Amino acid sequence: MTDHDDIDMLAAEYVLGTLDAEERAEVAQRRQHDADMEARILAWEARLAPLGNEVEAIAPGPDLLERIERRIDELEATFQTKSKSEDDTHGATQVIALRRRLGFWRGCTGLATAAALILAVVMIAPFDDTPDAPPFVAVFQQDDQQPAFMLSVDLDSRRLNVRPVTAKPLPDRSYQLWIKAEALGPKPRSVGVLNDDLSLPADALSDYDSELLKRATFGISIEPPGGSPTGQPTGSAIHGYLYPTDRDAVSQHL
Amino acid sequence: MSDASRRSPRRSSIAADDASAAPSTAGERLPELLRRVAQRDRRAFEQLYAATSAKLYGTVLRILKERGRADDVVQEAYVTIWQKAAQFDTGRASPIAWMVAIARHAAIDELRRQPRAPHEPEEALAHTPADEPSAREHLEHEQDAKRLHACLEALEAERRDMVRLAYLDGWSRADLATHFEQPVNTVKTWLHRALKQLKGCLAP
Repeated sequence: MTDHDDIDMLAAEYVLGTLDAEERAEVAQRRQHDADMEARILAWEARLAPLGNEVEAIAPGPDLLERIERRIDELEATFQTKSKSEDDTHGATQVIALRRRLGFWRGCTGLATAAALILAVVMIAPFDDTPDAPPFVAVFQQDDQQPAFMLSVDLDSRRLNVRPVTAKPLPDRSYQLWIKAEALGPKPRSVGVLNDDLSLPADALSDYDSELLKRATFGISIEPPGGSPTGQPTGSAIHGYLYPTDRDAVSQHL
Repeated sequence: MSDASRRSPRRSSIAADDASAAPSTAGERLPELLRRVAQRDRRAFEQLYAATSAKLYGTVLRILKERGRADDVVQEAYVTIWQKAAQFDTGRASPIAWMVAIARHAAIDELRRQPRAPHEPEEALAHTPADEPSAREHLEHEQDAKRLHACLEALEAERRDMVRLAYLDGWSRADLATHFEQPVNTVKTWLHRALKQLKGCLAP
């Protein structure tokens, strides 16, 4: 069997639904940055979709729409409040939030148990109508409601800015920022250990090119003082996906 | 999207709740509704929900079998649809297929996280009309459905059942292995053969 066959069967079984939870999480993550995988999944969705004609339509309970709208209101209120208070550069706020189950980081050394508990939410900060290249933003979120950090990256200059949102300095612990990208292999690489004021030097990402950065995911882990002794995350990680702040670019990454 | 429906999108009947509505009516409205949802138009979202929720709910409930869990998953699916509407690409999928895929994947993820009680296989199969696609909701054009059904008919009966039980009822490889009394690896091999045969059969 060739690699192409394997990938195609992975996409086919993903669509069919027969993969286990871990395999599904991996495929769901992979489709976001692997155009070939995404295309194969869509092709299989199209092939099998007519099977769904057999499904009997069943009206949900009368309250469900209200529940959904309340949930949307909650999400938007959370993010808008946060953006207004935390973002000092833009006025109008447009937010797209995405709950993302962990998969991509699960395979990392040392993260298997701790990271399984964590959901990341990635958020778009304000839309900016100026023609300048938009900054990319990742939000590191420790649960559904509370963002811990916000990372923004200017892809042109490859300068970064990490800001704590709810995260506080921890006694005898350091926060460490990691980058993970297909081009870097399966393991995360350290970007740096956050300073006592939870900042990082703006040029910490200057070794990576902007294409890689666009597709990368980022994690922040809690480590012994001075950073991980192993070169890999050892503590629980909170992670985010670098996310463009203009709508057109968003569609390329999800 | 016809001019008439663009001028008055609310005029169209809601196909999901109305068997007499021509499926194309809703089908033509959905891209426009999704476009408006992408612009965060809440009324369009409500119309989209009215037009599609029975289909999504039916899909999810068939996989999860419990209303409580189906409610949660369908809620999650519509929140995702609200958030991702801007990414919907008409060139790559029909709106209803895109939405059903989001709901189906959410349902299967939920089921894999927490499998339900042992299956009632006879009931699950009895659920599956062999070639009587619902007249109300056409996910795909009639012609595509006919082709897929012809290709499914060409599969060995057990493999065809496996494909149906997996796709429609959310059965895992292990569920299939138990029911068909085969090792999991054999099930995987059969599924791959069936999928490849389907792909070949459907190739233009």
